[in-house]
Amino acid sequence: MSEPLQESTAIDLLSVAQFDVDASSILDEPLTDEQLDQLLKIDPFRDMKEANFPRRSPLRELLRHETRLRRFKRGDLIVRAGDYGESAFMVVSGSLRVVVDEGLPDSLLGRFKPKKKGIFESIAQLWRNSKHPETRSQNELEHGENDELNRAGRTRKGGLKDVGKIIEDHKTVTLRQQGDFVGEIAALSRVPRTATVFVEEPDTLLLEFRWQGLRDLLKFDVGLRGYIDEIYRRNALSTQMRKVPMFDHLDEAQMGKVMEATEFSTYGNYQWSGDYKRMASQGDVRPEQEPVVVEEGEFARGIYLIRSGFARLSKKYGKGRRTLDYLGTGKVHGWDEVVHNWRSPEAPVPYRYSLSAAGYAHVLFVPAAVIEEFVLPTLPEEGFPDLVPIATDRPDEGLPEDGPTDSPRIGADMMEFLAENRFFNGTAAMVINLDRCTGCDDCVRACATTHDNNPRFLRRGPSHGGVMVANACMHCVDPVCLIGCPTGAIHRRVGGGQVVINQTSCIGCNFCANNCPYEAIRMVEVRDRSGALAEDAEKKPIGRATKCDLCVEQHNGPACERACPHSALKRLDLTELDEFAGWLDR
Amino acid sequence: MRTLLANRIKCVVALLVSSGAATVLHFAWGRDQDRWDYMTGWTLLALMLVLAAFSARKRLSFLSFFSAAAWLQFHLYAGCFAALLFVIHIQFRWPIGWFEVGLTGFYAVVTVSGIVGIFLSRVFAKRMGARGGDVLFEQVPAIRRRLREEAESLAVGSVEKAESGTLADFYARELHDFFSRHRNSWAHLIELRSPLNNLQEKISELERFLDTDELEILKRIDQLVKQKDGLDYQYTLQWALRLWLFVHIPFTWGLLIWSFAHVVLVYGFSGGVGVD
Repeated sequence: MSEPLQESTAIDLLSVAQFDVDASSILDEPLTDEQLDQLLKIDPFRDMKEANFPRRSPLRELLRHETRLRRFKRGDLIVRAGDYGESAFMVVSGSLRVVVDEGLPDSLLGRFKPKKKGIFESIAQLWRNSKHPETRSQNELEHGENDELNRAGRTRKGGLKDVGKIIEDHKTVTLRQQGDFVGEIAALSRVPRTATVFVEEPDTLLLEFRWQGLRDLLKFDVGLRGYIDEIYRRNALSTQMRKVPMFDHLDEAQMGKVMEATEFSTYGNYQWSGDYKRMASQGDVRPEQEPVVVEEGEFARGIYLIRSGFARLSKKYGKGRRTLDYLGTGKVHGWDEVVHNWRSPEAPVPYRYSLSAAGYAHVLFVPAAVIEEFVLPTLPEEGFPDLVPIATDRPDEGLPEDGPTDSPRIGADMMEFLAENRFFNGTAAMVINLDRCTGCDDCVRACATTHDNNPRFLRRGPSHGGVMVANACMHCVDPVCLIGCPTGAIHRRVGGGQVVINQTSCIGCNFCANNCPYEAIRMVEVRDRSGALAEDAEKKPIGRATKCDLCVEQHNGPACERACPHSALKRLDLTELDEFAGWLDR
Repeated sequence: MRTLLANRIKCVVALLVSSGAATVLHFAWGRDQDRWDYMTGWTLLALMLVLAAFSARKRLSFLSFFSAAAWLQFHLYAGCFAALLFVIHIQFRWPIGWFEVGLTGFYAVVTVSGIVGIFLSRVFAKRMGARGGDVLFEQVPAIRRRLREEAESLAVGSVEKAESGTLADFYARELHDFFSRHRNSWAHLIELRSPLNNLQEKISELERFLDTDELEILKRIDQLVKQKDGLDYQYTLQWALRLWLFVHIPFTWGLLIWSFAHVVLVYGFSGGVGVD
């Protein structure tokens, strides 16, 4: 598929494209017909069949609107390890270097330690905070590129200085084949970039894909999907598999065999928040509505490993299904059954639970035959689970009180509550114990003090069993609010990964607030320092998106949590239930 | 053992040990010493200042002076110890003269309001939670107005719909006042359900005078009555949870001022610790 770009083609393309622009700027103009003609002659597009694309989004138009050709200088950074981004890049001509060792130092990458307020600045908040709601500085009111390098998916201005020395000092891999991709996994899975990639050759030409465009291409073109899967298999699968306890004892050869047999699949809708909101408004967020990965009772033909996204584990109960657990990245389903069937082939068991995609889930499937041949014979004794209890006809037989895996203590009702509201997405959910909360609002006041007198959450939200999950940003594992932000203003902060909004580049378009399924983002009309409502050139009020930033600029973490005198409020990572269970059982 | 319970036990043990030590010290040694009153007095004043600093700490939540929860725990147990220290300081006797009575009065109000406050915080929070306690205090008037408007429009609308004024009369006679303002505070405070039960009995009695259309309307009005009662319940308890602070904090300031005056007077008239 990947063969070097013919010299003449590259020259044609370049002469037509005229991309003599700064690497960090975003080209807003769609591709021209000439550029598209050239693109469709090169890999991987030349093998794509127009017939596979629906009439409403033909290949040519998809490329026109969802991709941009961009030229880069030697040393330009394409992606940085740890950043979140919504773009993927494909080599058209030139070459890239992928840093595959421990990575480049932050100083080289242009990262700086996120600024925190000093002690005097913190105290000064008491009198410096604005008397008016939602005031912004003149700089924040005037849009424009600022120097913050934490924005998602955008390459930074400038670049690496001494590329030769960096190549010498670090282990790097060259990508020079036409059709080589970088950044596709992070863009499609909303996970951090795993490696830093920079430009090696001057005048390297890349095709940048918006994630939506790449998603559609993968949907309609089986060849590209296979190709991307192969890249993933080659570059990232081994790392992910090694993190799973049952595979970490395998040697390279055995791991190679397992990886070779591993199948990839995607369930659900990547942009799931819209569907979820619709279902929630109809009061029908049940597991039965979700795309099924595997049904309970089916023959256990392998194990399912969640690559990204979330899946719900459920069991039939009455006419519906009861949620037992939710599985995030790296979690496995079906292991107990496969092991059981290997150890007791005379009494095989099917899958005991159903697995469905909660939102969306990228899933890896490893067939039982490969596990039996390469994994189980060499698995240390302590790695074997207990034999699965033999199922009976009773629907709730074998159903552990508190779920089957590592979520044992929160109870079935609470599990259902977390799953139905998709709270398992939150890494810093604001959880309030209503049995202890007196409604004193100290949390709200503390939040306001640390945010220029503007509280960034509402002390209300869905509640169950004396526990409320407030409408405060949960800093999600899968932050759907990032989807579609036209300026990259809402982004993951480098280092901590908190989702924050850059007030300078926010244009108040409301996309993030609409996407957020948790009502954690609020649009406000802003004022200048004098308290007057700010207006744009057309005399319309200027709006901005606001939300909890987890007090990233403060020294002691979230002020709300520290301000609660009754220990009623806690910011909890709900992706792992142990902490939550411990908090409930204080 | 559960974290909160373990912490509570540690704090109670620390309080008992320090209280026991202070009492033993007083009876075994202190009361015979001339300087004992000064020692307990200054300790008490220092402790009162630290206790009062909790209020300032709440405004400085962004600083690393321990969490507010840790401060509250200290406030509770140190407050109890300070009460004992006060009694030791006044030598287990009744105050004499208006100044001492005033000082003791302030001290008593602050201590008792604090105890009441923590009792309310613990008990009322649970009670509010048990009855769906996620109503924001500031939103209560708006919710009340919405309930009233819906109930009123149902009652008025029933006249045209059923061609009968029975429901509207009932509303004007029994429910108008109920929906117009906050009601039954005392009953809610002591968890008495009789006002709601009485109202619902009247609603039940009315049923036999209504036709099918009116019964539908009455059913909805009955739901609104329950909602309004729940709202009054939340409002009363949240109001009580705020009210005690309006006693506790002003009296704390009064106590501090009175105490400083006490120090000035003591040193003014006795010549201070150096004078036998």
